[in-house]
Amino acid sequence: MNMHRDKMTNEKNTNLMDDQTTADLTATDLIVEEQIARNITELLKGRAQHLMPEQERRLSNARSMAVNHLAQQQAKLASSHGVSRHGYTLRWFGEHFEHHRFASSALIVAAALLTFFAVQHFGLNNNLENSDAFLLAADLPPEAYADKGFDAWLDSN
Amino acid sequence: MVRFQLAFKCLLVLFALSFNGAAAADDANAAWAQLTDSQRQVLNPLASEWDTLRPWQREKMLDIARDYPKMSADKQARVKKRLANWSRMTPYERENARKRHQRFKDLPADKKNELRKKWHEYQNLPEAERAKLRAESPDTYGDADN
Repeated sequence: MNMHRDKMTNEKNTNLMDDQTTADLTATDLIVEEQIARNITELLKGRAQHLMPEQERRLSNARSMAVNHLAQQQAKLASSHGVSRHGYTLRWFGEHFEHHRFASSALIVAAALLTFFAVQHFGLNNNLENSDAFLLAADLPPEAYADKGFDAWLDSN
Repeated sequence: MVRFQLAFKCLLVLFALSFNGAAAADDANAAWAQLTDSQRQVLNPLASEWDTLRPWQREKMLDIARDYPKMSADKQARVKKRLANWSRMTPYERENARKRHQRFKDLPADKKNELRKKWHEYQNLPEAERAKLRAESPDTYGDADN
């Protein structure tokens, strides 16, 4: 019985040691990889000073391609949110507005002007009945509304 | 570009509005001789005192001249008849008249008829009695600016 227990304990210890070893190896691998990356970076830096014109041209082309690709991706992202790089918001109203920018702008301005003149017109008509001219033309003269004596006489009658 | 175009159009509208306001202010400062024929025709009862009126008083009278052509002939006659008295009323009398006219318009037809009848009865009272009623009534109206 005691022998069996010792065996179990030994196995457990062995497993713990294996885990520890794996962890140590992983850490070591990471350190090694980092060191390799540093070496590569240093080598690239050192050699970058001595690049051939052809290599420089290819690197420059590759950089331009990468930048263009990034710019295209950002433009796609912006348009998928409804606003382009220029803040063009008409596409919020649908593809038709997107394809007829000038006509759509003219339509919006016309609608704004129409609203403005409609408000002016109906506002004027509404004020018309309240203007002094219509008070003067009313059945009762203005004096009837302003005469304190008339008020007093109405109260007493 | 679109932004620029929109800003330009907004600017045009604002310019038109400010121009409109400036034109109204000029009208309010116009002397009798500077009024148009149609304005002079409507405001004729005020011809002698027009140049003594303050700008805001002139503006109100010009509003009357503007609305005058939209009225029927009998209403136009009433306006001409009452215009001189109206211009001699104090600002707070005019403001009070406006407010009470609004209330009168909201009354039911029978109440309106009753008030008209009462006004005619009051007009038939001797002037001395009406003056006494006026003198005995407290001045309940506050100051007004127009």
